[in-house]
Amino acid sequence: MVQIMIPINTIAYGLTIGGILYIISIGLSLTFGTMRIVNFAHPIAYTLGAYFLITLLPFIKGKFFWGALISVLAIIPIGYFIERYVIRKLYGVAIDYAIIATYAVFLIGIDLIKWIWGTNPIPLSDPIGREIILFSVPLPLYRVTVIGISLAIYLCLWLFFKKSIVGKIVVAALEDKDAVRSLGINVNRYFSFVFVLGSCLAGLGGVLYAPITSVHPYMGFMILLLSFAVVIVGGLGNLQGTFFSAFGLGMVIAITGRYWPPASEAMVFVVMAVVLIFRPIEV
Amino acid sequence: MDKNLLSNPRNKMSDFFYQWDFLGIAFGFMVLMPLIGMQRTTDFILFCIYVLAYTLLYGYMGRLSFGHMLYLGTGAYAATLFAAYVSKNPFLALLFAICAGLAIGLILGPIVVRATGACFALINLAFNHMGYFLALVAFAKYTGGEDGRAASFAKFGFFDFNSKPLKFWVALFCLILVFFFLKKLISSPYGVLIKSIKEDENRVKFLGYNTFRYKWVTFVISTTLTAFAGALTVLNYGYMTTGFIDPGRNVEVIFAALIGGPESLYGAILGGVAYMIISNFLAIYIPRWEMFLGIALLIIVFKFKTGVVGFISDRMKNEINA
Repeated sequence: MVQIMIPINTIAYGLTIGGILYIISIGLSLTFGTMRIVNFAHPIAYTLGAYFLITLLPFIKGKFFWGALISVLAIIPIGYFIERYVIRKLYGVAIDYAIIATYAVFLIGIDLIKWIWGTNPIPLSDPIGREIILFSVPLPLYRVTVIGISLAIYLCLWLFFKKSIVGKIVVAALEDKDAVRSLGINVNRYFSFVFVLGSCLAGLGGVLYAPITSVHPYMGFMILLLSFAVVIVGGLGNLQGTFFSAFGLGMVIAITGRYWPPASEAMVFVVMAVVLIFRPIEV
Repeated sequence: MDKNLLSNPRNKMSDFFYQWDFLGIAFGFMVLMPLIGMQRTTDFILFCIYVLAYTLLYGYMGRLSFGHMLYLGTGAYAATLFAAYVSKNPFLALLFAICAGLAIGLILGPIVVRATGACFALINLAFNHMGYFLALVAFAKYTGGEDGRAASFAKFGFFDFNSKPLKFWVALFCLILVFFFLKKLISSPYGVLIKSIKEDENRVKFLGYNTFRYKWVTFVISTTLTAFAGALTVLNYGYMTTGFIDPGRNVEVIFAALIGGPESLYGAILGGVAYMIISNFLAIYIPRWEMFLGIALLIIVFKFKTGVVGFISDRMKNEINA
């Protein structure tokens, strides 16, 4: 019994991490695919989501769902602001300036968070706290819920990009921006929408990850690197690829973490380097 | 760009300045020394070597590396470990660090230089993270992990690296050496070629050049010089911590290269000094240091893309044309 108990735990952990990485990475992948901008400011939405949640929880008497919803909605104006005043000015600018400018936004955001909430890590307890028995292995129900949410988001996005007109325009713009523009469609408005959507999902990722880890101002830095690895392994702007690479790398983290915990994140970069050796990305 | 401007045949004066500019740089640091102290000036000079090495890659070849701390750390760790396990001779340690920088450039080069743009930045960052992990956790037994370890060097002739004036003069000499080397390099046909790679790599390929080899060589030169700067920094401080390889500190050198103007060697030195002044003195008075850095970066990116030197030389160009 013991022999199979540990692998199922590891797999569940890997899927949880993978699901959260997927939710966070969509925005990064979409921003790159549509605007050709590598958005270093992306984890700001993630960190803010987690901080909004811990600020809200005392007011709404610990109702996690409503806290999560309000936190994610509160990301909308912030995402719009960043898009309107920074990202939009970077169209057509050399890519290194885009990296530097978004990194600058990241620095400003982190410092604002440190200013408002302080630098001490804030722990958060598991909002569900129950466990379910799966193949006679107890698993925290919360983690299973996270996996479920990420799969639901994947399905929703799939439907959105396949069926809705907005989604179709975005997919077309991923392929060829100029062709879409020549149809008389104001692509920038859709890009703006995509950016805000990506930011909200990153905020949701932060909200969901907060109870698993602790909330601190630099929590975004590592996630930024990990989700970059996800996006590069999956292919920039490739939504299916992002999904599979997120879960794949989540498993890499979980399995490495089981044998040698400090190496779990470094291992992700080994995978990324190997992928880049065999398939360099022209940016 | 600076050469064309300054060696304008109508202007003998600036030609003279171009030839003897290294004396001006040396003089500048000698003036700075009594103002801010010898230890700090040495620190400034070593950072400038680092920025110069970075500028070759970023300013001249147009490849923004977001993981250059790895190469600085390689030099620093190589010098420290050499001193700890092989020999306390400071010059052999420096040589070993240079070889380590060369080796890491040669090994990582073929993987790294095939990428461009954001991918280049990120793959460097990823390697930086792996190096950080190796130094912090995997080889903590040798590197001292988070605590770092002291590096002591023996006397060699009259080179005693415990005396501050000697460290200052050695650092200044090294800076001039690196500056001179890079100045010759970028005004050579090779330099023109790497600048062309920045402008349009496909056209350079079309002319029949193997751009991969040129990019690799440039990358190796940059990592070697960066490792050299790292080793000198260890000689200066006498200890080494994971701060030398921390991926979170990569933005420093980018910021320094940007304020001065990335497309100029003068800009690199000016930017290095400016960054060190800001981080050493202004940071005490600025409580929100990261926010200041972020806002300054945004202003540079949106308003002064060419940095201080670019701004001045544009002005001068306008005056000559007028």
